[in-house]
Amino acid sequence: MNKTISQEFLKGFWEILPPFKLVLGLCPTLAVTTAVENGIGMGLSTTFVLFFSNVIISSIKNLIPKKVRIASYIVVIATFVVIVELVMKAYFFSISQQLGLFINLIVVNCIILGRAEAFASKNPIYLSAADGLGIGLGFTLSLILISSIREILGKGTFLGMQVMWDSFEPFAFMVSAPGAFVCLGLILGIMNLFPKK
Amino acid sequence: MKEYFRMVAVLTIIAALCGLLLAAVKKGTEKRIEEQFLLNVQGPALKKVLASSTNDFIGDREQITIDGEQKVVFIGKKNGKSWAIAFETMGTGYKGKIGVMVGFNLSQDMISGIGILTHQETPGLGARVSEAVFTDNFKGRAINEAFKVKQDNGIIDAVSGATISSRAVCSAVKKSIALYATIKDKVLGKK
Amino acid sequence: MEYIILAINAILVKNILLAQYLGNCPFMGVSKKMETATGMGMAVIFVITFATSITWFVYHYILVILQIEYLQTIVFILVIAALVQLIEMFLKKLAPALYKALGIFLPLITTNCAILGVAVLCINNEFNFLQSLFYALFSGVGFLLALILFAGIRGRFEISFIPRALQDTAIALVMAGLMALAFYGFLGIDNSLQALMMK
Repeated sequence: MNKTISQEFLKGFWEILPPFKLVLGLCPTLAVTTAVENGIGMGLSTTFVLFFSNVIISSIKNLIPKKVRIASYIVVIATFVVIVELVMKAYFFSISQQLGLFINLIVVNCIILGRAEAFASKNPIYLSAADGLGIGLGFTLSLILISSIREILGKGTFLGMQVMWDSFEPFAFMVSAPGAFVCLGLILGIMNLFPKK
Repeated sequence: MKEYFRMVAVLTIIAALCGLLLAAVKKGTEKRIEEQFLLNVQGPALKKVLASSTNDFIGDREQITIDGEQKVVFIGKKNGKSWAIAFETMGTGYKGKIGVMVGFNLSQDMISGIGILTHQETPGLGARVSEAVFTDNFKGRAINEAFKVKQDNGIIDAVSGATISSRAVCSAVKKSIALYATIKDKVLGKK
Repeated sequence: MEYIILAINAILVKNILLAQYLGNCPFMGVSKKMETATGMGMAVIFVITFATSITWFVYHYILVILQIEYLQTIVFILVIAALVQLIEMFLKKLAPALYKALGIFLPLITTNCAILGVAVLCINNEFNFLQSLFYALFSGVGFLLALILFAGIRGRFEISFIPRALQDTAIALVMAGLMALAFYGFLGIDNSLQALMMK
């Protein structure tokens, strides 16, 4: 094991930054990024689930028979998703109403199952924790980036506060479904301008 | 065979542990979720229809059973005396159900106000039934008045271009008036 | 009449891929070739219909009765995972030809959020069983339609000039946006259908 915790943590911010570098987890990325608040909520929920499922799966990886590993992972992930769902409803009610269906759908976010299978099931707990946290926070940052662009252009606001000049006509296309796809595609294009290692 | 047994055992243990954990979290958050739900979904409408109450009407809600159906009734109190009650009824609008919170003044048997809770009406048309211009139509009316839109020889000014939505609200109000007497007796009888 | 509207709604107006943002991972992944797109679309129709009907029963006759609706997510995903495995086994035994066509897509479907999404949507919208069945079936059809159209367009990318940075997924996303814009136009149909039904 020659990789350190910091390396595992930092790779989630650029090298395999989801959803851009790993083209996974597109649905929540497209759906909830109409407002920065929702982006943060979704990103942190995903980070929570990713971190804990990575830790748990990594710690029980030797106990699980190979044939039922995916089923076990799904149970663990789904448990944390339900916890997030309940806690969000109890303490962040308005965001949970905004995210609605997509909180349930964290369970099928391919990033999480993907990390469980590709990383946590093969690495020790502390590395898996760093991996989960890094990728989760990277995902959160991506969501904040996309939702900032969409909210500022589409509604003229940032976190609900007016940031554009008064006569600014909101570019409603950006907060609708087609705008989500185009915006994500263009950001990905810009990121591709930077050469890969 | 041994491997098979192990598979079942491991899955069962994981599922059981997760189940226990979730049941605990659920228990811990249950009450708060219910309160948050009432506060955020029904709170704004309640504040309008039970205005000038001095109590916490969400905390003072009561479950009342009418014809085998559960109804949550919110009770507004002034100086410790119940002066108004409010509960929700549904009407069928243009795109789906419209939930209407109707408040009644107990001593004068009149409507203290109505608030629209949930609807899926068209923005700019049917959705305008939730605006004060329309809901104020009902405020302060005695319960025996004709709660119909003017097109149907009633007293309510329908939102222009949204007669169906306006009718739906009227029918929800009429439903709640039909329930009002029974609920009033039950609420006051308990005291 | 109600069901026709529901179907048109599910296929065109509220297309799960382009208007509801569900199932986008496979959308990008398998749309490079027409055959894989068709295969995936068919497999989704198949699984989504089965899964939604079963989860509907599970929700209304097990979860509601035991008052454990909060376990919805965990139960639904397990039902879907088990169902996908079962379908895979049955197809292998009973319809080898079909298995050959759809088989490789089945494992991917468990994590397709369209399946879980539609199952949960039917519960959230308080659909009855028949409505759920229709909604799921036609959502699947909508998925197939969008996927095939998209694969067709993506085939053209091969012979057109695309800036290097935009190649592959980036241009595909922009393209999906334009398609979503086209589907946006169907909102008009929805409104006039609703008006028709009211008469």
